[in-house]
Amino acid sequence: MKRPAVWLAAALVFVSFAFISYRILWLEYPVFPTAPGKAWQFNMEAHIKADQKEVRVMIGLPHTDAARSVVEERITSGKMTLDLLREGPNQVGIWSGDVGPGEEVISYRATIHMAHHRSSRAKPPKLEPYPAGVGKTEQTLAERLVRKWRQLAPPARLRAVAASVVGNWGVPPPDGQDLREWSTFQQKRGRLEALLVLLRAANLPARAVEGFLLIESISTAPLVWVEAWTGQDWENLEPDTGEIYRKSVSVLPLTIGGMPAVHVSHGQLSEIRWTLSRQIISHWRIHFERINQSNRLLDRWSLFRLPPEFQGTFRILLLVPISALMICVLRNIVGFPTFGIFMPVLMALAFRNTGLAFGLGIFAGVVLIGYLVRRWIDRLRLLLVPRLSVILTLVIASITAFALLGNKLGLREFMAVGLLPFVILTMTIERFFVITEEAGVRKGLWTAAGSAAVATITHEIIQLEPLQLTFFVYPELLFAVAAFQVLLGRFTGYRFSELIRFRKLRSPS
Amino acid sequence: MIFKATRWLKGIGVLGMNRRNVEYIMRLNPRSSYPLVDDKVLTKRLAEEHQIPTPPLYHTIEYHGDIARLKNALHDQHEFVLKPARGAGGSGIVLVTEHTAEGFVKQSGEIISWKDLAYHISDILSGIYSLEGLEDRALIEALVHPDPIFDAVTYRGVPDIRIIVYRGVPVMGMVRLPTRASDGKANLHRGAIGVGIDIGKGTTRVGVHRSRTVTHHPDTGNPVSGIQVPHWESMLLMAARSVDMTDLGFLGVDMVIDQERGPLLLELNVRPGLQIQIANQSGLLRRLELVDKAPPDIFATPKARVAWAVEKFKALGF
Repeated sequence: MKRPAVWLAAALVFVSFAFISYRILWLEYPVFPTAPGKAWQFNMEAHIKADQKEVRVMIGLPHTDAARSVVEERITSGKMTLDLLREGPNQVGIWSGDVGPGEEVISYRATIHMAHHRSSRAKPPKLEPYPAGVGKTEQTLAERLVRKWRQLAPPARLRAVAASVVGNWGVPPPDGQDLREWSTFQQKRGRLEALLVLLRAANLPARAVEGFLLIESISTAPLVWVEAWTGQDWENLEPDTGEIYRKSVSVLPLTIGGMPAVHVSHGQLSEIRWTLSRQIISHWRIHFERINQSNRLLDRWSLFRLPPEFQGTFRILLLVPISALMICVLRNIVGFPTFGIFMPVLMALAFRNTGLAFGLGIFAGVVLIGYLVRRWIDRLRLLLVPRLSVILTLVIASITAFALLGNKLGLREFMAVGLLPFVILTMTIERFFVITEEAGVRKGLWTAAGSAAVATITHEIIQLEPLQLTFFVYPELLFAVAAFQVLLGRFTGYRFSELIRFRKLRSPS
Repeated sequence: MIFKATRWLKGIGVLGMNRRNVEYIMRLNPRSSYPLVDDKVLTKRLAEEHQIPTPPLYHTIEYHGDIARLKNALHDQHEFVLKPARGAGGSGIVLVTEHTAEGFVKQSGEIISWKDLAYHISDILSGIYSLEGLEDRALIEALVHPDPIFDAVTYRGVPDIRIIVYRGVPVMGMVRLPTRASDGKANLHRGAIGVGIDIGKGTTRVGVHRSRTVTHHPDTGNPVSGIQVPHWESMLLMAARSVDMTDLGFLGVDMVIDQERGPLLLELNVRPGLQIQIANQSGLLRRLELVDKAPPDIFATPKARVAWAVEKFKALGF
C-alpha cells in the first residue's frame, strides 16, 4: 500500500466520522438510527357545557422544545373556534364560541417523540419574585426557616427543603413559634405555594407545573408538581410529600409557572380525559419527523427533506457504492469472474421488482434464449451495432412474452420486470456468447454463476432496511465507503484464486 | 491455510495480478504509450523506425467501403494473415495458407469464402474484436513460416515467443505452442501450451496447458522440454530494445521466428499474463526485484541489459 492513498482514505474516513459525530453529539441523532425511538400518542377529549352563550375553554397543550417534539397534531373543535396562543413557556389552545344547549366535544391528539437524553443546555432561569400575596412577614419567616441551609450546594439545599414538606426540619430544629406560624401559612395558602415560597427563600428558582407522567395512563385531571433548578437541571418535586422524582421518570408538562392546565369561563366541563399510550412507529417516520422539524443546517440539507416520492430512489442508490465495494472485494481479493464490472449490481437492482428467485429465473431464461438465437444469428453476418439491436429486440420480445405468460398464469413477478434490465440482458448475451466461443462453455457458465452469485449477494445487501436507514440518515458514510475503495485500489496481495492457480508451483522441479 | 499459502507464494516470489497492476503496470507504463502497443499498425511502424523486423504489411483496411476493393488486391495473395489492429488475446485473427477457386483455406484446413472473409473484416472494422469496442482497422500481413525447430511440438499454426521485459531487462521467457484446441493460435487461454525458456541458456523447460503442467504436447505427443530456441540472444536483444521504442517499463514482447527472416516482432503487450510463471516454474516478482537491485550502469544500453540478464540468470539457473 502506498502513502498518498492511505492518507486519502484516512481523510475520507475522518470527514465521514466528523459529520456523524457532529450529528450525534450536537444534533442529537441516534447512534444507531435503527434503534426504536420513544414515541407517545397523546389524546385529550373534553365535553363542554355552556352556562351562557359564549363559553371559553383554555387548555394547556404540549409543544416542541428541547426535550421533546410534538408532531401530527390533530384538533377538533366542533362548533367552537380555536386559537392557539403562546404564553411564556406554554402553548394554550383557546376554544370559544356558542355551543347551544347541548354538549360540545373538543379533542386534541398528537404524537410526541422524546429526545434521547434530556437537554442539559437549558438556560439557567432567573430567580423570580415571591408569589403575589405573600407578605413581608411571611417572606422573612421563610428566610429564617431556610437560613441554616444557605451554605449548601443547590442539590443538597433542594433535598433539605423537600424534606421539610413532611416536617423533617433537621437539627437543630427551628424555633417552635416559627414552625407554628409556618404551619398556619401552609394551611392558608396550600402546600404547593408554601413549598414555592420556601424554595424562593432558599434562592432556588422553582415553578409549579401541571402535566402528566409519561406512562400508559388515562387521567381525568392533570398532575401538579414543582420543578426546581439546581444549577444543572430541573428537578421535579411532589408538593405534598416533598418526594423528588427519580431521573428516569419522564414527564409531559402542559403548563408551567402556575397557569392552570384547564380553565373554563362561562361554562363547565362535564367530562375531560387525557390518554397517553406508547406508540410503535416505523423507524423511518421517527427520523422523518425529527429532522423535518429542525432548523439546523444539516437537517435542512437532509435527504428526509426530499419529496417522499424521490426518497425511495435514494434509499437504494446510497447502497449501490457498498455493492460496488463488495464487487471490488470479490474481484480483487477473491478473484471472482463476472460479466462486466457493475453488471451484477444492475441485475440486483432489477431483482428488486421481481424478487430474487423469479429475477434469476427470468435472467437465466432470457439469456438462454438470447444465446441460442445469437449462435444462429452469427451466420447472418450482421454488423456489430445492428446485431446488438437485434438481440435487444429479442430481449424486449422475450420480456413481453414473459409478461403475457405471467398474466395468464397470475404471476405478477413476470410482469414486474421494469425498464432497467434490458440493456444488461443484451450485453450479457453478447458477452456470454463471446466467452463461450473464445474460452469454452465451462468458462462461460462459470462466469454466469459468478455473476448470479454476486447479484444475489448485492440484492440481499440493498434490501437490508437497517442499512438503508443508516445510509439515509448518515449519507456521509459514502466517504467511508470511498475510503475502503481507495484502499482496495492499492491492494497488492494475492487473490484467493491465485493461491489455487499457482499451487502448481508448490512442487518446484 | 490461506496465510500459509500466501506466505509460500511470496516466498518463492510469485507475482500476483493485483501487484502486477498496481506496482508494475500503473507505475511503469505511461498511459500515453498505450496506443502505440494497442494498435498493431502503429507498433509495426514504430518497430520499422527502430530497425526491428516485423512481418511485412500488405494492406490496411480502414473503411467498410475498402473491403470490395480488397478482393482484387488479394487476388494474387496466396497466403496471408488477417488481424484486427486493436485486437486482444489473438481474437479475430485468421491465418490463410492457400487461395483456391473455392475460397481461402484457413490454417485449420477449413475453407472460407470471400463473403465470409469480407464479413469477418467488416466485424473487425465495427470493433467487435477491439479492446474497448471502438471502431478498428484490419491489417493483412505476410504469413510467417515458422522455424522448423518447433514442428514436432506444434499442431498447425505458428508458435510464438513471449519475453517479459522489465525496465529494458528481459526477465522471463516462454514459447507458446498451438494445439488442436487452440485452433492454430498461440494464446494460452485458447488452449495453447506455454513452455518456459531458460533465459540464460535459451532452452525450453516444462509446459503449462490450461493451468496444468505438461511435459509432452497433447496432440503430437512429443516432449516439449529441452529444445534449444534458435536466435535466442538476438531475440533477447530485440525484446530489450522495445523499451527504448515505447517508454514502457513492464512489457510482454511477442515474437515469431521465420524460416527465412529470422525473429520478427509480432506485438507488444502492456498487460502480460501471469501464466508464464507456471510455464517457468518460477516467480516473476523475485526476478523483478533482482533487476531493481542491479547496478545502475547496466541499464545504459540494450546490450548491457541483456548481458547482465544472461549472466545473472544463468548463475541462478533461471
